[in-house]
Amino acid sequence: MTLTASPRPRTAAPPDGVRGILLAILILAVLLGSAALIGWLLSGVTARFVPQAPPYLILVYTLGALLLGMPVVARLFPWMVNWYYLVPSLVFLAAFTVLPIVLTVNYAFTNYSGQNSGNPDTGVRTEAVLSADRRTLTLAELPEGASSLAEFLRCRNASCVGDTAILYDEDASTPVRAQIASVQGQSITLTAPVAETFQPASVTRLNRYEYVGLANFREIFGRASSALWPVFVWTVVFAFSTVVINAIAGLILGILLYNKRLKGRNIYRTLLFLPWAIPAVISVQMWKALLNQQFGIVNKTLGLLGIAAVPWLGDPLWAKISVLLVNLWLGFPYMMTATISALATINDDLYEAASIDGASRWQQIQNITLPLLRTSFTPILLSGFAFNFNNFGIIYLLTGGGPPQEGRDATAQSTDILLSWGYNTAFAASGGQNYALASAIALIIFFLTLGISLVNFKAAGVFEEARR
Amino acid sequence: MTTAPRAPHEGNLPPGGYIHREPSFLRRALPWLVLAALVVGFGVLAYFLAQSMQGRQRSFSIYFVEGGWIRFLLFLLAASGVLALTSLIGQRWGQARTGRRISYLAVLGDQLTHLFLILVVLVAIYPLFYVLLAAFDPRNSLFAFPDFENPNILYRSGLLPNLDVLSLENFARLFTGITLPGWQVLLAGLGGAALAAVLLFALAARLGRESAGLVRGRTWAMYLLVGALAALVVFMTPAQFTGPDNESRFVLSVRNTLLVSGLTGVLAILLSTTAGYAMARLRFPGRFQMLLFYIFIQMFPVFLALVAVYALMVLLGLTNTFTGLILAYSGGAIAFNTWIFKGYVESLPESLEEAAMVDGATRWQTFLRVVLPLSGGMLAFIFLNQFIGTYAEFILANVLLTGVEKWTVGVMLLSFTQGQFSTKWGVFAAAATLGALPIVALFYGFQRYFVGGTVAGGVKE
Repeated sequence: MTLTASPRPRTAAPPDGVRGILLAILILAVLLGSAALIGWLLSGVTARFVPQAPPYLILVYTLGALLLGMPVVARLFPWMVNWYYLVPSLVFLAAFTVLPIVLTVNYAFTNYSGQNSGNPDTGVRTEAVLSADRRTLTLAELPEGASSLAEFLRCRNASCVGDTAILYDEDASTPVRAQIASVQGQSITLTAPVAETFQPASVTRLNRYEYVGLANFREIFGRASSALWPVFVWTVVFAFSTVVINAIAGLILGILLYNKRLKGRNIYRTLLFLPWAIPAVISVQMWKALLNQQFGIVNKTLGLLGIAAVPWLGDPLWAKISVLLVNLWLGFPYMMTATISALATINDDLYEAASIDGASRWQQIQNITLPLLRTSFTPILLSGFAFNFNNFGIIYLLTGGGPPQEGRDATAQSTDILLSWGYNTAFAASGGQNYALASAIALIIFFLTLGISLVNFKAAGVFEEARR
Repeated sequence: MTTAPRAPHEGNLPPGGYIHREPSFLRRALPWLVLAALVVGFGVLAYFLAQSMQGRQRSFSIYFVEGGWIRFLLFLLAASGVLALTSLIGQRWGQARTGRRISYLAVLGDQLTHLFLILVVLVAIYPLFYVLLAAFDPRNSLFAFPDFENPNILYRSGLLPNLDVLSLENFARLFTGITLPGWQVLLAGLGGAALAAVLLFALAARLGRESAGLVRGRTWAMYLLVGALAALVVFMTPAQFTGPDNESRFVLSVRNTLLVSGLTGVLAILLSTTAGYAMARLRFPGRFQMLLFYIFIQMFPVFLALVAVYALMVLLGLTNTFTGLILAYSGGAIAFNTWIFKGYVESLPESLEEAAMVDGATRWQTFLRVVLPLSGGMLAFIFLNQFIGTYAEFILANVLLTGVEKWTVGVMLLSFTQGQFSTKWGVFAAAATLGALPIVALFYGFQRYFVGGTVAGGVKE
């Protein structure tokens, strides 16, 4: 690529090295940030005039501002045009991947939960009367369980200066926020009088969430023996053994099916391909029915063979076996296909030479096939490990983490992996919607995944490929 | 690929030279040590499993054959014996016919391989067949008592549901209360005809009459099929589904899933192609760093940030909307596809683009007019991969979509099996069959190409 071939001579080249990168990122950040700011301002203005305007207008405005801003920046810094190819993906990554990650890291150090959700607590709404100067609210009574007004409002200090109270009118439809100047007995003094158009009838508190430092991590590691360690060990055992089992099954079937003498091998391949083709969300739920202890077809077949009904999903140890078996059923077609396509790259001459030298079939497999498969299998096995490390779907759909095991947290049962433990903590009935704790768990998982991926990329040569 | 550090004297060898060294004792012992460890491990596992099976009552709902496994082993032995005999006959006959020496062991090995593969296929595929039968069984046969009195052992053990009572009742429940206006019926008919045409063309091509007209016809039939399907999906409304319960809205959930998956696939193409092209062809400071950033950001599974995504969607007022769901998926769709497309562009000859630029095309025009038209197959792979991945996703959908009108197939199926009051296995089987059909068809229709792409993503030589 020569510069002379370029039709438009560049007026300025990008600065070299780290400075160029930093400058480009700075320009992009300013562009994105100002577009977001404009979007925020415009949507605020729109919301003022059209109250029922949807909140996602901010996205539309931001996108519009970005489209208008990009040519301007391109005029100022012509070399930024190269970066514009990345802008569509960068914008979406920033909004729907990076922003959630930042929020997750943020939540991990708070006490954000279903209880402390940042929303008004409608459960403890208390009737109140407004004074004549519209600045003082007097509560009819203190709600049960609160010894003082400051405690009821969950103030940061005893005088409640600067805290927020939520006012409702007769309909109790829209909450209105008001700043507190002070509290006295059962009356609240606000910093500013309530607007004439609004007649407050009741008061409640804001369930805000606060930064709690490392408390979530302390909780995780403090009770590590009943959740973190057993779950972590099972996650590693699950990911490792599922990869090994699937790889062995795939290798055996692949080597058998690559035999060119075998008639009808395409029929076998087509049929054995089927478990891969069916969406896992469907097939795993199917297996849940088939593995039922009383009525499942698996136990009916075992009964025919004279084996007692196995508690596939009802016993901690058997449930682990079931997860591995179902994952084998889901995963062996992929390994089989990978084996077959890797075998196709091995030169037939090698086998011919070996058989002339008198090597048996088994010796050929051992000394030609397996060593040559190793190069193409290493990345597959490693990415399989990384995938199964976070294979939430099968655990959630098949066992739901259960069956329960003694001495474990309710959110971390016998087949729960790290990810399903985090999910249970945030969304399952057993977890009490502890979003902050779940975010802390997510952070731990992220660092573990990062470590695995680094090894993975190193082995697969991703860095070399990226630098090329 | 990293290369192993070379021993100093290897430098003196001619190219391809080789010095044989006996592997060390430990190295030779390694396979046996691994084997021993595995045997011990399995022994311990079997001991614990046997412990947990001790003293378990026989289930009253299961037909039990005392010592059935001995009979099964005897059957296998007999089958092997028969195969040994037929192999001998086959070998002798083949030798007599061709006059060449044929190894008896090779023939027997092939025969035993067939036996083994048939058993594997039976174990792997029979569950699917059973669920397919259950879909036609109105008596909820996934969870039924077997017919203990029946003389046929397959019925008596419950391995086969009673074939006499099969009906379309489960499917009918999925279709109750759907009102279709005439033009939608017409579109559906058009789509069906196009599908039949595609299949016929494919069959004709399989029979070896590949010609330019055939290919053109197949392409047009494909366009027609996709067009009719897209129109049907986009213009179908929830108001058409007037049935009383969840299962009558299953077809709506299929439509929702097709809509979401299709749009996510298109979005994936729009977002990742330009980035992939830039990563492959443009050289600017920061390219390598951005590529690393993309790879690492992909490591963070989107639903680790589920709480944050949900909070974000609440803030934007996009919960329970397809827009919100598609946007949430889009973040996860970018990195992998960019990487794949970058690899594809690098495999294209650069001279084409250079020629275009010599002729006065700008970079952007080169990308639009030269690179994109050449990458039809890759774009189709990116779309299909994203489509299939999104179709099977249920976690984000389960959290973000709260109204039954918006549910996707995965969420709908979850409601059948994890329902609060009853599990509807018959309906589930019917819905699973219908829901899996589009993906299975896509998989088999684009098999070669799909397998190649997926495996190539992992296998890097």
